Amino acid sequence: MSRDGTCQGSRRRLLKAITAGSVGGLVGVAGCVGDPEQAGADDNDGEFDTVQFGVLEPFNGEFSELAKERHQGTELAIEQINESDEYEFTIEYEEYDTQLDPATATQRAEQAVQSDGAQFITGCISSSSALAINDFALENEVVYTPGAADVSITGSECNEYVFRFETNTAQIAEAMAQWTADELGDRIFYHIADYAYGDSVLEEVETRMESISDSYERVDVTRSDPGSTDFEAFISQISNASDEADALVVGMTGADLAIFLSQASARGLQDEIPIVTTTASFRAVRAGAGEGAYDVYSGVRYVPSIETGDNGAFVDAYQNEYDDVPDNFSRVGYESIRMVANGIREAGSNDPTTVRETLSGMEHDTIFGPNEFRECDQQAVNPVWMGECVEPDEGELADVELLTDLSGEEAIPDCEETGCDL
Amino acid sequence: MTMVEGLLQALVDGLTIGIVYVLLAAGLSVIFGVMNVINFAHGELFALGAYFALALVGPFGGYGFFAALLVAPLLVGLIGVGIERYTVQPLYGRNPLYHILLTFGLVLVINDLIYLVWGPGNVSLAVPAVLSGTVTAFGLNASVYNLFIIAFGAAMALAVWALLEYTKYGLIVRAGSQDRQMVRNLGIDIDRYYSLVFGVGAALAAVAGIILGGYQTVSPEMGMSVIIPAFVIVVLGGLGSFKGAVVGGLAVGIIQTLLRTYAPILEGMVIFLLMIAVLLVRPHGLFGSEAPEGEGGGDLLTGSGGVLEAETRRRLGLAAVGLLALVPLGAGTLYSTYAVTLMVEILIWGLFALSLDFVMGYTGLVSLGHALFYALGAYAVAISLAHVGGSAFVAIGLAILLSAAIAWFVGYLSIRVSGVYFAMITLAFAELFYNLLFRLEITGGSEGLFGLSAYYGLAGVGISLEEIAIFVGPVALTGQSLFYYIALATLVGAFLLTRRMLESPFGAVLKSIRENEQRATFVGYETTVYKRRAFVISGALAGLAGGLFTLNAGYATPSFAYWLHSGEVIVMVILGGMGTLYGPIIGSGVFFGLEEVLTEFTERWRLVLGTVFVLFVIFLPQGLVSLPAQLEPYLGGSGPGPEPEPEPEPTPEDSSVRGDD
Repeated sequence: MSRDGTCQGSRRRLLKAITAGSVGGLVGVAGCVGDPEQAGADDNDGEFDTVQFGVLEPFNGEFSELAKERHQGTELAIEQINESDEYEFTIEYEEYDTQLDPATATQRAEQAVQSDGAQFITGCISSSSALAINDFALENEVVYTPGAADVSITGSECNEYVFRFETNTAQIAEAMAQWTADELGDRIFYHIADYAYGDSVLEEVETRMESISDSYERVDVTRSDPGSTDFEAFISQISNASDEADALVVGMTGADLAIFLSQASARGLQDEIPIVTTTASFRAVRAGAGEGAYDVYSGVRYVPSIETGDNGAFVDAYQNEYDDVPDNFSRVGYESIRMVANGIREAGSNDPTTVRETLSGMEHDTIFGPNEFRECDQQAVNPVWMGECVEPDEGELADVELLTDLSGEEAIPDCEETGCDL
Repeated sequence: MTMVEGLLQALVDGLTIGIVYVLLAAGLSVIFGVMNVINFAHGELFALGAYFALALVGPFGGYGFFAALLVAPLLVGLIGVGIERYTVQPLYGRNPLYHILLTFGLVLVINDLIYLVWGPGNVSLAVPAVLSGTVTAFGLNASVYNLFIIAFGAAMALAVWALLEYTKYGLIVRAGSQDRQMVRNLGIDIDRYYSLVFGVGAALAAVAGIILGGYQTVSPEMGMSVIIPAFVIVVLGGLGSFKGAVVGGLAVGIIQTLLRTYAPILEGMVIFLLMIAVLLVRPHGLFGSEAPEGEGGGDLLTGSGGVLEAETRRRLGLAAVGLLALVPLGAGTLYSTYAVTLMVEILIWGLFALSLDFVMGYTGLVSLGHALFYALGAYAVAISLAHVGGSAFVAIGLAILLSAAIAWFVGYLSIRVSGVYFAMITLAFAELFYNLLFRLEITGGSEGLFGLSAYYGLAGVGISLEEIAIFVGPVALTGQSLFYYIALATLVGAFLLTRRMLESPFGAVLKSIRENEQRATFVGYETTVYKRRAFVISGALAGLAGGLFTLNAGYATPSFAYWLHSGEVIVMVILGGMGTLYGPIIGSGVFFGLEEVLTEFTERWRLVLGTVFVLFVIFLPQGLVSLPAQLEPYLGGSGPGPEPEPEPEPTPEDSSVRGDD
């Protein structure tokens, strides 16, 4: 096939042309079949002043509060980069509402890329939306920085266009399992939400407990439907088994977790058995659970008080801008943008394919100190902590006290175990 | 803990949530029984109650909770009265279907207002110290607040019962829910009582919202999470029956709790299984009146494009298809390629809406579970691409067959019940399927199936749209644009096929069923069989739509089967004009077009969209297709309609026909 798109004879192409001709016939215009590579040649000469980002967040629906929080971090990073002399380009962006539905998320991603020319996309809190955008990013060759914690995003479903600064469930499980085995014991009762997230918490914590302790025992597992609002029956079951178990590990997040904790505390469950969670340290969960969050343990992906990297500067800037302290998703939005911007600067190009090659394995100074999207799965090597939600000195919102920490290298699974092969 | 203690504990746990269900369902049921209004906004009124309480507890502290229990329901009651006066009242006498669109719009409006005023996220509603702590007795453990819920909720329910049973007001309301016309004939102006009933129902919902808010958390999504269980309970107990709401609410609360302990696998599905079982044995619910719905049928206003002559309409239709065929040619030059993406979505949903209209607009069966077939088609394609081979033709063929088969099964069980009960039983099947999608291995659980690709051919021979381009002059048509033609051709094909069917004797019977099912039966037609056939065709077309989506997008997720999608597609049909095959297609275009335009301008686009729906259903009930006829007196003559693309379509002579009665 010649570069100008004229048809050259070849039996195979002729066959293709006949098949496709029936499609072309619909238009009433005889089509000429060729190679799609010729259709839109990218003209990228290395000179650029702006890069276009698409910000996809579930601004409506269950995760809207987290979306708002994440978006504030995103906007802060963009503002800083655009004002800084260190970057010779400015970031332009549009925001899109994904409404917690993967189909809407891809629709909006298409709008961002096709209509608004986005080369980089960021966002999505829910794992199924993020997984849909994972695929989309690969197909459309745009760099994507997700906000979901599902292991498979940089695991079995990984691809070279996806870079994740969010700490995944496997990393958090490492801290939780070690601390729980050391401090509480190895007879574990699990309560999980019956979907991918809950299952992955169960699996990740269990495999780690098994390797830490020979006497590990899974006392029982109860499962509630995602979106449940009534946990009385489960609380009764857990309460019954509280003598046989050393700890309750809860694999839920968001409203499910907040409601569970609030109902558990009304029944005094926290006094019967230590409760270990993955995300009770999120402010959204603490706010929802109210007093129910007190005395609950949690894996910690981020709290504003940590003294790593330039987190102090980030917290100050965030407070100045929004009169509010950042939480987990704020820092994910913030650092996702900064790291991608560093990659663009380093690559000297706004072409997503060039940028992703540069970004993989590149060293960054982050709010967690030196960090990278490691080459084998493009997951950020984030440190993790174990914490306890405690009654505050004033107000109702629980404080988070850090108990132990685990470095990024210690927390992240080995490359061979991720199921990702980049 | 012994078995007996375990059962007793489950009983206490179940009563707590059960009593809240009772309060929610009682209001919903009485509103339906008396006014025939399917009030989807009930859940939002419930949430509003909790938020008002939150606002009151804030400044006054813990004991503000008790004040809130009194004040917030009054406020919500007033809002309820307002809603009835200004939005529901203009719709009396029409088919309950219109209330779906109306209250669907109200859901969007109220929910967005909650976001606007209180912001997103879960907030804990602090309960007074006197209600916290736990009680342990006889080996049972319960929180004081749970016991408060049971006691207070029971007292409220008792009060409502007394009101209905022993006051003149109650007497009239009860009479009205049995036979409205008779009450009118007795010289009672029952319409005046409607506002009050609506207000009391709203206030009850608010009470439920407050006590549940203290038990869970308060969030903008709380209304959405209770509305479906509440509907199920109402239908289970029998529409309009207070006793039914009480028995249904308590039974569902207790059964759900027991299953969580003893058979957790059934948890999410049990209420739907229960409802299907009850409706099959007792088509009017446990305590519903056996009387036919009577005026419940109400006027079903089907659209008519009567002002245009057949030849003009044929030409317009051809022109519309011709114009649509040109869309991809300008993509990338005249406008962005996103236009094609958006149009593909519109075409696919247009097909989906067309499929629903085939049963809804032509036989009067309102399916509230059509997302079931859409998702079935999508998953059939996904599973076929993943396991059977990459052929798009095989995948789509399987999607159509599977959807048709399941539609036959669902139709076989469902078509024996009618009206709202039919809507609810189809909803139940869809929710069962939605739940199954989460549990099954082959459907990929909660995440769905991703990364699928197809070729257009058979047995490994064929082309992939990604690998070819068609050059038309200077324009290159690639992947998405090529798929656009497949979607367009499928939609036109489906349109012509259904039009042909409706022109056949089969179609004539369908229309006669819509006009008057009883007469069709008298003439000797077995109407159930015809309705079931129509339902199978409709299900197959919906499956085709879902299949096309997955073929193009390369994934399927459980959200496809979510009930909100069934609601959206009904909205599209009514928006465009039901009972015309092209109306729903226009409805789909307007729905997505509006969403597209509004999301550009404001984050609170749902507020505007909801308002549009409300205005629409009040002022233009026959849909957009009726615009030409509506405008005709002002324009004079029968010029071309101002609305785009009316396509040739046989329409009923009479634009206002009675539903089945």
